[in-house]
Amino acid sequence: MAADTVGGADERLAYRGPIQQLLTRPEIGALLGLAGVWLLFWLTSEAFGTAGGTANFLDVAALLGIMAVPVALLMIGGEFDLSSGAMTGATAIFVILMSREVGELGGAGFSLHLAVPLSLCFALAIGWFNGTLVERTSLPSFIVTLGTFFILIGAKLGFGKLFTNKVIVEGLDEAQGYEFWDDIFGAEWIRNQHVWDGRDWAWAGLLVLAGVALLLGLLEMSYTRQADPPSWAAPGAFIGAVAVPLFGFAMLLTTEGTVSNWLWGAVIAAGTLAGVAIWCNSRYEPGQRRRPPPDNRTMRMIGIGVGAVAVAVVLAFVMDATNSDQLGFLGGGLGRAVFAIGIAATGVLAALAATGHVRSSAPVIGVVVALLPAISFMMTIQAARALLFGGLAAAGVVALMLAAARADLALWLPMATAAIVAVAAFVVQAESESRKLRVELFSVLLLIALALAATAAARALAQRRSTAVPVPQMGLWPRVALAVGGAAAVVFAVIELIDGDGLLYALSTGGAKGGAIALGIFAIGTFYRLLFSSDEGMGRPLVRVGLAAAGLALAVKLMFITTLEEEATQAVTRFRVSVLFYLLFAAVGAWVLAKTRFGSWTFAVGGNKDAARSVGVPAARTKTTLFMLVSVCAWVAGMLIAFRLNSVQANVGDGNEFRYIIVAVVGGNLLTGGYGSAIGAAIGALIWGMISQGIGFARWNTDWRFLVLGGLLVVAVIVNNYVRQRAERSQAARGDPDDDEPPGGDAGGADESVSEGAEP
Amino acid sequence: MSDSLIELRNISKFYGNIIALTGVSTTVNPGEVTCVLGDNGAGKSTFIKILAGVHQHDEGELLLEGEEVTFSSPRAALAAGIATVYQDLAMVPLMSVWRNFFLGAEPTRGFGPFRQIDIEKAKQIAKEQLAEMGIDIRDTEQPVGTLSGGERQSVAIARASYFGARVLILDEPTSALGVKQSGVVLRRITEARDRGLAVIFITHNPNHAYPVGDRFVILNRGHSMGNFAKEDISQAELTHMMAGGAELEALQHELATH
Repeated sequence: MAADTVGGADERLAYRGPIQQLLTRPEIGALLGLAGVWLLFWLTSEAFGTAGGTANFLDVAALLGIMAVPVALLMIGGEFDLSSGAMTGATAIFVILMSREVGELGGAGFSLHLAVPLSLCFALAIGWFNGTLVERTSLPSFIVTLGTFFILIGAKLGFGKLFTNKVIVEGLDEAQGYEFWDDIFGAEWIRNQHVWDGRDWAWAGLLVLAGVALLLGLLEMSYTRQADPPSWAAPGAFIGAVAVPLFGFAMLLTTEGTVSNWLWGAVIAAGTLAGVAIWCNSRYEPGQRRRPPPDNRTMRMIGIGVGAVAVAVVLAFVMDATNSDQLGFLGGGLGRAVFAIGIAATGVLAALAATGHVRSSAPVIGVVVALLPAISFMMTIQAARALLFGGLAAAGVVALMLAAARADLALWLPMATAAIVAVAAFVVQAESESRKLRVELFSVLLLIALALAATAAARALAQRRSTAVPVPQMGLWPRVALAVGGAAAVVFAVIELIDGDGLLYALSTGGAKGGAIALGIFAIGTFYRLLFSSDEGMGRPLVRVGLAAAGLALAVKLMFITTLEEEATQAVTRFRVSVLFYLLFAAVGAWVLAKTRFGSWTFAVGGNKDAARSVGVPAARTKTTLFMLVSVCAWVAGMLIAFRLNSVQANVGDGNEFRYIIVAVVGGNLLTGGYGSAIGAAIGALIWGMISQGIGFARWNTDWRFLVLGGLLVVAVIVNNYVRQRAERSQAARGDPDDDEPPGGDAGGADESVSEGAEP
Repeated sequence: MSDSLIELRNISKFYGNIIALTGVSTTVNPGEVTCVLGDNGAGKSTFIKILAGVHQHDEGELLLEGEEVTFSSPRAALAAGIATVYQDLAMVPLMSVWRNFFLGAEPTRGFGPFRQIDIEKAKQIAKEQLAEMGIDIRDTEQPVGTLSGGERQSVAIARASYFGARVLILDEPTSALGVKQSGVVLRRITEARDRGLAVIFITHNPNHAYPVGDRFVILNRGHSMGNFAKEDISQAELTHMMAGGAELEALQHELATH
């Protein structure tokens, strides 16, 4: 009876929109955190959002992320590796010691062509040792790898001093074969050397493509298509929806002057709104709104939203925009008093909570009060302002949008919200003394307002989807795109290599060009099917096109410099090859987890090892492989460290293992195994890099850095926990209702129930 | 009797000085349900673990199609076509239905390092197989943890029979289920039998065992109390043997109240 629905989507599944789908992902907490942290530092620091600042925090994030991804995989598999930090330094020291002439102990140093592969074998051996010991003894990996950790620390210092008499081993650059390996592990992309005047056009074009694809993708995912639209409707509407704003955008870029900016800005806005309206009208079933009257809760949310935005705007005017002094509002005796009150309140409330007199969460109030003086010393005035303004405004807009979604207030509330955002944009432009905020934040806010208005129009016009989206039939397009793009990437890379531009340059330009070609073909295929086929479910491919275009736009902007910028800047921005490894490992890790048998086994051994074993999963082998994966990545990280510094201290990497674990947890990985995400861990590394570098950029007192990072960890864990519970609840709510039957009471009923079961 | 699929002759198992199982003999034939009955601690779990390759027997002979064998691991038993559905279901609750269904035997496409799971195919087969079992799963992406007990048992049985099991061992499949769901599972057992599988059904409930069983092995404190064909024993006798005469009255009283 269910056979006819096989393959398609089941009609009994309530459709979850793109936003709800996103909210059940393990990495959602990290993603929101990433956006928040980036915004905070971008608002408070001039340098953070530039290519130089990005290179700076990417550098920290990359080395961390290269390890965090395999550590996350190992955590999903249910184990820890406390030796992972020490291992990065150990492989670095190993390769240097191997390549050195060791004087009185006799023997010449190996060529790096021998020493580097040898250090890989060394890393593999450690991973195998960890994994096998954990499996054979069934001891907790915590204890086993703690032993390895101390062994490695001892070996690093012992052998280092034995061979060089110093706690630092140096001289990698004197080794034979250094040039070759430095090209792989020590390469840098020096942005200032890559001038491309067409960059801004490429960048803007890709962003427009991203915007169009994302908007159409979200619409496509959210609304039901008309059964029989006239054949000209879709292409016609598409032209209407894209051509007018595109024309406005082109004019905006080519004309100068305030008046024409205004004019073409208005054309873009009006064109986009009209385009969305035409598109929705000709493609989707017309909306039938049920309009429940706004209840008290909705009104309260509207109140909160308007209030928050209002306070934010007032704050923006009142507080000083450029003052980078510390807040210091709770210095001296006052600060001490506040701290004392906070601690006392925490203690008393904790005691009361323990005895059941107040709610168990009450002591939080005391903690917050006690932390206030610390915050006042740590943050600058402008940072506090940005934090308050950004946080309040964002919270206000979110509250308004939630209220709109709740009460289905067709048009006016989201439109009003869009207007509020637009007003905020003009407030920023009129009031801010920072050119960056006046230009960039202004444009971004206006774009957000436009997107809000466009989605509100769509909501009012189109019928919301109620059944799940079927799997799109993309035909040969993805394969053609991959094949042509991949071939182009190889050809371009080989050409650059023959030109003698170095491996990094060859790989990254080849990859970028091949990626652009693949994206182009895939985008053409997607739009073609969107317009000329009756398939539903093109939303997901469209969103993919949009995200890829946005990523490529960002890469183009970061990698290239225009002549104008080149003349204006003295600072040299360099991206290290570690970033490439980081992106590669994150992508491979995500692919392995989601798509391969090994990924499935990893989840299984972490979720229920005995069950996995009993259905034939090679549990021991899976776990040992995971340990070896960590050690191979530690080897890559070690090589990157060694070739960057050419000399390595004995204690390099020690203690980093906890950072990897923290970053993985921030990324939504469950400490108990069986659940998590590699992309999440990579995002966690990015957050860590942003915070640890951003504090310096924003000229906050860096002594407090670890307080911020520690707080981040706690908040991240709470958020992740909340998200997971929510996800599980929404899953469980879809479970079978006939589950409620009480167990037991089964004797004597067997015959009866057999015949009962036979009926259908 | 050498054409039996599995024959056990005087199988014994010791854990140190503890005698877990001694002198158990029975035969398992295709298209038959062999019930293993016994109270708690009777040795039922040890019995199936020997067949499933988790433990190895210390004495006696285990014959597979007339050849003497010892299963060194669960994988080896699976390779011989013996699939076990454990009481705790051997499922990973946080993983989706289709991933659980194919766990350890995922269909793949592509080659070399680019080999990946054929997810669409896996989902479709899982859905078809479960539909054949009469379980209509809404979404195979649903985590197994959200299924009801009977649904989980059925998923496990469907999985075992899909992967070409010749022998299906069910460890207390009805013990945690309500009346109706037990009925559903008993029906799965007869279906599997009718498809020509040899089923070994472990239970402590003679009322579940007797309607579906063709052959009964009764265990008590590690000893075999006998190996009967259905025509040689009545349900009352079965209950009597399981419970032991002294406790019979109490048991009958208990049964009468249900």
